[in-house]
Amino acid sequence: MTYVTVPDAPLLEIRGLSKHYGTIRALDDVSFSLDRDEIVGLLGDNGAGKSTLVKCLSGAVIPTAGEVYLHGDRKVFSTPAEARDEGIETVYQQLALVDIFDIPANFYLGREVVRDGWRGMLGILNRRLMRKRARAAVEALPARFPNLDADIETMSGGQRQVVAISRAGFWGGRLLLLDEPTAALGVKEAAAVLEMIGAMVSSTETDMAMIVISHNMEHVWSICTRLLILRQGRLVADLPKSETTRQEVVAHITGATA
Amino acid sequence: MNTRDADPGRGNGERGSPGAPAAGVMSKLVSRVRFTAMQARVGVLVLLCVFFTIRSPFFFTSTNLVNVLVNGAVIGIIGSAMTLLLVARQVDVSVGSAIGFAGAVFAVIARDYGMAWGVVGAIAAAMAIAGINAVAIIKFRVNSILTTLATLVAFRGASKLVMDGRAVRVEGFRFLGRTRFEVGGIEIPVAVIVLLLVVAVFYVLMRLTKYGQQMYAIGANPQAARLAGIPLERQVGIAFVLTGATVALASMIVVSQVGAVSPTTGERMEFLALTGVIVGGASLYGGRGSVIGTLVAILILAVLDNGLVLLQVQSFWQEVSRGVLLLGAVVFDQLGRREAEVRMDV
Repeated sequence: MTYVTVPDAPLLEIRGLSKHYGTIRALDDVSFSLDRDEIVGLLGDNGAGKSTLVKCLSGAVIPTAGEVYLHGDRKVFSTPAEARDEGIETVYQQLALVDIFDIPANFYLGREVVRDGWRGMLGILNRRLMRKRARAAVEALPARFPNLDADIETMSGGQRQVVAISRAGFWGGRLLLLDEPTAALGVKEAAAVLEMIGAMVSSTETDMAMIVISHNMEHVWSICTRLLILRQGRLVADLPKSETTRQEVVAHITGATA
Repeated sequence: MNTRDADPGRGNGERGSPGAPAAGVMSKLVSRVRFTAMQARVGVLVLLCVFFTIRSPFFFTSTNLVNVLVNGAVIGIIGSAMTLLLVARQVDVSVGSAIGFAGAVFAVIARDYGMAWGVVGAIAAAMAIAGINAVAIIKFRVNSILTTLATLVAFRGASKLVMDGRAVRVEGFRFLGRTRFEVGGIEIPVAVIVLLLVVAVFYVLMRLTKYGQQMYAIGANPQAARLAGIPLERQVGIAFVLTGATVALASMIVVSQVGAVSPTTGERMEFLALTGVIVGGASLYGGRGSVIGTLVAILILAVLDNGLVLLQVQSFWQEVSRGVLLLGAVVFDQLGRREAEVRMDV
């Protein structure tokens, strides 16, 4: 799939993005831009506005003010489907998988493929095609993958996260948003998930950027190239990893600026 | 909707191992548990039939078995739609009153303007109730139990208003309720054929179509369904409209069978259907259930009723046995749930 692109425009640009819930400013006048192949860590304490920012980008939340540009093109998302159609894939913190479905059914959740001809007119699913494509995608992944036919409810937290992230990667797109990909995971499982994220980005041939949200700085540090830090809804720092230290980042997160 | 193809070329050459074996074993275990639940249902049905055949010479006759099917037909038809609703974590307890109301509208219009207009009236009445339910649940976000409880009460009264509180006779409407086709020496009533068609339609809809798949997703994890871009409101709305269609059909069958509509027509059918659906394996928590399970369960209930009558057991025992079955099914469901939770922790 090709998208409309404006030469030299950043892949993603956000200008003055705000989200207010009554008098609470969950997100307050946030601006930044993102280039292709960047993996950006979005850090901040609980309630700093990380999830709100991601939801604004993924269409799950409609911002109170501000603009979102993709390749210089202004976009307004009022539903998750609209954001996805523009190539923005999201892995949510609370794991948007359906427990009672197997992996192919979860990959195609909301995007089920129907058969050709009259069966398609009746909305009859093409299970075989979905399974075939999911299998091909899964086999190309570096992660140790759970059984394709197993229902999600039989899987561990780490396996579920691997499935959720690979679903986002499966649909490709321009921007991948990962909301706490390693939360609630053990050390080993978190490492496996991070390894997979790294491999996924380095192996993409298309223009793609990724925003990884976490409150665990160690996890983000190992895979990202740049750090954005939110505090109380405001963007307080935007630092390339090579030009900062963990101490400085922690200081920004907690607000204890040196 | 985006139908972009996946790009299987992405990813490097490293291959994943062919899946954790433990997950495979467990998935087999899970499917085995589901399988035995279905087997248990069929087993109970067979055992009941064997028991009543031994105890009564009248049970295993084609006339009686056809009667059992006829008695289950109306409940099975609305039970099919009810299964779809429960799968998506919805319920409609107004169907009994809706059948009564649609039947009343049918009878009154048929008496004054002729049968064809009566049919139109019954469909319109059933659809109106479905529409009210759907709008309250979808637009105003009222819980479906409360919404349909309100329409259950209101339309019981409305049907008495329409009929002036008295029963209305319906003459000459035989086809749906009383016509029988001879198939291989056995006379099959139209109502039974309609039941089988309705079950087949709902089976295909729920098991093979995109719509059905999305309804299971909505029931199992509404939040995931919404984030995946599934139009929850529209899909649930369609289910209530389909329920209205089955109500229209059921009301005409009832009217045709009885030849009259009374202020109590359709009463308690919502409970019979719901009992069948739950015994059939659907869960009020959504994501589970099948029309085949519902059909078997409704046959169990119909056989039980019929057999107890043949054995001249006091009719109160019918209600007791139904309640025991429902309780048993719910406990079984809960046991399965707990097992699943334990599995998840592994």
